[in-house]
Amino acid sequence: MAKGFKYGGYIGQLLRVNLTNKGITKEPLREDWARDFVGGVGLSARILYDELPPRVDALGLENKLVMMTGPVNGTIIPAASRSSVCAKSPYTGSFFHSIFGGFLGPELKFAGYDGLIIEGQADYPVYLWIDDDKVEIRDAGHLWGKDPFKTQEVLRKEIGDEEIHIATIGLAGEEKASYAMILCDIRAAGRGGMGAVMGSKKLKAIVIRGTGGVTVPNVLKVYNTAIKLNELIATTPAVQGLSQYGTPRNVAAMNEGGILPTRNWQTETFAGMVNITGEAMREKVVKGDRACFACSINCTKYSVVPKGPYKSIINGADYETIYGFGSACAVDNIEALCKADELCDEYGIDLISTALCIAWAMECYEKGIFTREDTDGIDLKFGNADGMLQMIEKIGKREGLGALLAKGTRAAAQIVGKDTCRFAIQNKGLEWPGHTCRPFPACAVGYATGPRGGSHHDIRPTPEKSGLVDRKILEGKGALAAEINHWLILADSTLLCHLAEPIWGPIKINDSLIEALNSVTGWELDYQGARKIAERQWNMIRCFSAREGFTREDDQLPVRFMEEPVPEGPMKGSYIPRETLERLKDDYYTYRGWDLKTGNPTKAKLSELGLDFATEDIG
Amino acid sequence: MAKVKVKTFSVIRDVLGADVVEITVDNPETVSGLFEALLRLYGQPFKDKIWDPNTGEMAPFLMRLNETIIRSTSDMNMEIRDGDELAIIFPIGGG
Repeated sequence: MAKGFKYGGYIGQLLRVNLTNKGITKEPLREDWARDFVGGVGLSARILYDELPPRVDALGLENKLVMMTGPVNGTIIPAASRSSVCAKSPYTGSFFHSIFGGFLGPELKFAGYDGLIIEGQADYPVYLWIDDDKVEIRDAGHLWGKDPFKTQEVLRKEIGDEEIHIATIGLAGEEKASYAMILCDIRAAGRGGMGAVMGSKKLKAIVIRGTGGVTVPNVLKVYNTAIKLNELIATTPAVQGLSQYGTPRNVAAMNEGGILPTRNWQTETFAGMVNITGEAMREKVVKGDRACFACSINCTKYSVVPKGPYKSIINGADYETIYGFGSACAVDNIEALCKADELCDEYGIDLISTALCIAWAMECYEKGIFTREDTDGIDLKFGNADGMLQMIEKIGKREGLGALLAKGTRAAAQIVGKDTCRFAIQNKGLEWPGHTCRPFPACAVGYATGPRGGSHHDIRPTPEKSGLVDRKILEGKGALAAEINHWLILADSTLLCHLAEPIWGPIKINDSLIEALNSVTGWELDYQGARKIAERQWNMIRCFSAREGFTREDDQLPVRFMEEPVPEGPMKGSYIPRETLERLKDDYYTYRGWDLKTGNPTKAKLSELGLDFATEDIG
Repeated sequence: MAKVKVKTFSVIRDVLGADVVEITVDNPETVSGLFEALLRLYGQPFKDKIWDPNTGEMAPFLMRLNETIIRSTSDMNMEIRDGDELAIIFPIGGG
């Protein structure tokens, strides 16, 4: 509420840095946009829709990278440490948001900014040093070529402050590799090639030190809300266990339910599961627990493999590592998975896309499409941990087959041909996380229509996966998917962590989410008010995609999920045939007030949401 | 009487102390009755993992009863018999 900003929780100021002309400006945050789009992803979508020309080159001069906080960041509200990085993605070709936890977002607010807009391109490597009011663009020639951890080490020493927080890219980002990520201290903004956008600007790192605070209108109200939310976190059954086992808590249960993606999703039951569960990880490698700013969930595990070929130190492994390099590649050695995680961080590549590219290559090898000649002599069979690790290195360096896989499964399958697109597990170009949709229709239509494609944070399987909603019924699933979209986008704009899913959702915007937002901002939103904001945010992003040329035809699932039923286990026979998907899309578009033919928001819907300005853009 | 195997994971497994425990109940018994038996045996720590204190209701989750997936929200009256196996497939938020 600094500088007389109308609403609590906000600083009221954005920092804009132009790397072409080295211009640094501080500009007021628009109050109407804060109210209409909140912050984080919603606000970034509004800014990028306004400032980017249509069909801009994602790695060109005109693309912009927006790092944004939300009103709750930096307060004592738990599960609220996250920040978003948004840009037009070089990987999917549309608006993309990648979210990271930790401390960097709150630190940006403490430095005096709700968000940071990076534009232009430097002509030599630079880093940005934000020291409260003082902002400098500094030479990063000595950091170029260094991995993210080494970069952080050098910067901490150079600046002489252990309490700075740093977002940095690795080699992959520098080379604008398609799924390069940004490492934010120890947490990753992993998906969609945000690191490539940063690299295209020759921006090696963003370093932040803030000594200010966040003002709220009623401290006691925020305090009481935080107490209540911490109580919910401690007692809600579906949140318990994250502190003990982290996100791999559920590996064994998912395998038992026949929903643990295995061997590049050829099946969903993994025989080696017992060696890579959260329990096995805790017993074999976990040495400590870490939490994000002001959070009581404590989900991050600090793991060490002290010696041997898989010697590594990581903050993880998270479930996506266990799934991607574990069951999807059929590797059941937890130490090898830790090494895989470490390598991805060192090269600065998204581990989900990396893992699924390797799983796809393993299936090509299994089917005889790739031979040892293609794999540079590596025996790339499912289950070969060493082969998998060698291939990560090759992707990181873009050597041999690694150069092909670094393009992603969609592009690689187009190049290789031979029907390999049928088992490229991606939609809209983004490889899938370890959450199936084959038995879950609402989840399926959510993935298909999601702006990012293979993201489990545009849709969640939880309502159907928990049995809260009957997974076998198709009716009403379009509406369910839309309401799940709404709580997710509002959380990603308020910047609340999805690990507290049962508290913020899980089937629609929960009262707790509204209470957290109201307590900090001083707003008096009710459910309908909160839902309208979320609907506006979702439609804004859809307009961005439509303006880029995306249509109903782009709302697809990976071919495997539309053609191949799960072959075994409790979910045997489950899949989403094309005609079912089309029916679900009709249901979803109708519920949303979107045109059935194009999949675009209608003029009436845009008008209802105050997005009339987009009408002409999307025809 | 019926002997039923109950398979659990993660923090629920931690409360039960083993991957699989064998529970003796009436033959036949309902799934709900089996959970009541588990509650009697394992008390408050088990209750904390299964029932949401904020709503007083059992949390939503799937179970595998032999080869069939069933739901805590709709299938608690299903019968179980001697030799059956029930696995509790508890969901997790977020990750």
